[in-house]
Amino acid sequence: MVEALAIASGKGGTGKTTSTLALGMALAERYDVTVIDADTGMANLLFHAGLADVDTTLHDVLAGSAPVEAAVYDRHGLDVVPCGVSLDGFRDADPTRLRSVVADLATDTDVILLDSAATLGSRAGVLPVVLADRVVVVLQPTIPSLSDGLKVQEYAAAYDTGVAGLLFNRVRDDEAIDRIARKAEQYFEGPTLATVPESDAARAARRAGEPLLAHAPAAAAAAAFEEAAATLEVRESPSDVVADRFRRAVIPDSP
Amino acid sequence: MNLPAGSLLRKRVVAEPATALATALDRAVTGYLRLAPPDALLFEAEGAGVVTLADGVPVVAYHTGTDRGGPVALGDMALPGPYGMALHELDAAALASVNETDAFRVPPGMPAERLAGDGALAERTRAAAPATRLEGEQAVGSRTSAVEAFLDDEEKIRSLKARARAEARERAAEWDF
Repeated sequence: MVEALAIASGKGGTGKTTSTLALGMALAERYDVTVIDADTGMANLLFHAGLADVDTTLHDVLAGSAPVEAAVYDRHGLDVVPCGVSLDGFRDADPTRLRSVVADLATDTDVILLDSAATLGSRAGVLPVVLADRVVVVLQPTIPSLSDGLKVQEYAAAYDTGVAGLLFNRVRDDEAIDRIARKAEQYFEGPTLATVPESDAARAARRAGEPLLAHAPAAAAAAAFEEAAATLEVRESPSDVVADRFRRAVIPDSP
Repeated sequence: MNLPAGSLLRKRVVAEPATALATALDRAVTGYLRLAPPDALLFEAEGAGVVTLADGVPVVAYHTGTDRGGPVALGDMALPGPYGMALHELDAAALASVNETDAFRVPPGMPAERLAGDGALAERTRAAAPATRLEGEQAVGSRTSAVEAFLDDEEKIRSLKARARAEARERAAEWDF
């Protein structure tokens, strides 16, 4: 049984990768979780997960030069599939293989988190939203971010992808966020999973190459991600159904 | 609001309004910044946002589509992006009558906060603003109320969602998803 969730925001800077790993670690207390860096053009999961020095990444798998298993790393209680950052790797990677990679991984996990690209402007950028069962929309309480989040939701709806919930991240004004979240919920299909305060710990964790929940488990932001994971209701579909859907999803153009 | 064209310093499509505001600030431009959807056909003609500048610091904001000025106009011009941006240099005297319209005035840091969600740029803008302009600027409170005002504008959000939906469907067909 598995559910695939795309962690998406439509634009950069909202803390998608920090959120992906934090949600993943918190969910791993109850589920078998696989985290995939689906932002193949601007990967950064590897830096957050202490995998900057690994030899084999998703790029190699997408290039057909390594089997999927070779790019799966057991870190922090998660199966992590990082993507490489070299332009050569990106050029050689064939995005058409992403579907089958995800399909293969879906047979042996409970939750797949797809760290998505910060753009809806390309087929490869939209692909995680197309493949996922639902999206977790990462928002900041600003007008541009909320606009982008609504756009993500509408794109998701176009592919029958639902909204699992909203994650307000990097929140500075505690007093207003409850009102903002309540108002925002009227327009989104999913509930607010948590509001995560802006955190020096998240920046320090990134510099240390560790997920937030490993680097500073006692930080307020870490507790908020734990709360988000507890609020998130994972809906599991039979693995073969999900795997089949991945295999059937339409192939994106090469970059 | 009628403004002469002055001299066009820069015209391009930018992903973030922060880029445009930062350019104006760094070059201490006196004139105005025009922000509009880059593709009027895709997004329908909804007018443009205008922010006047004195030595790079925003003075008044006005939206030609909604005919509203002041802080509320900043909400009108906030888009999912990208933006078509034009930066015009204009003599201070040509801007005087517009800049003296009190109802259209915005605190110096507010465009950076509301349009770009960029606290650091807002701070830099406030630092560059003359002291007289800083009175009455309420940093956190004003930013918050702008987001809430945006979320209270059901019609604007409905139209934003409808545009995104149409765009998504168009792209899905184009990409064969």
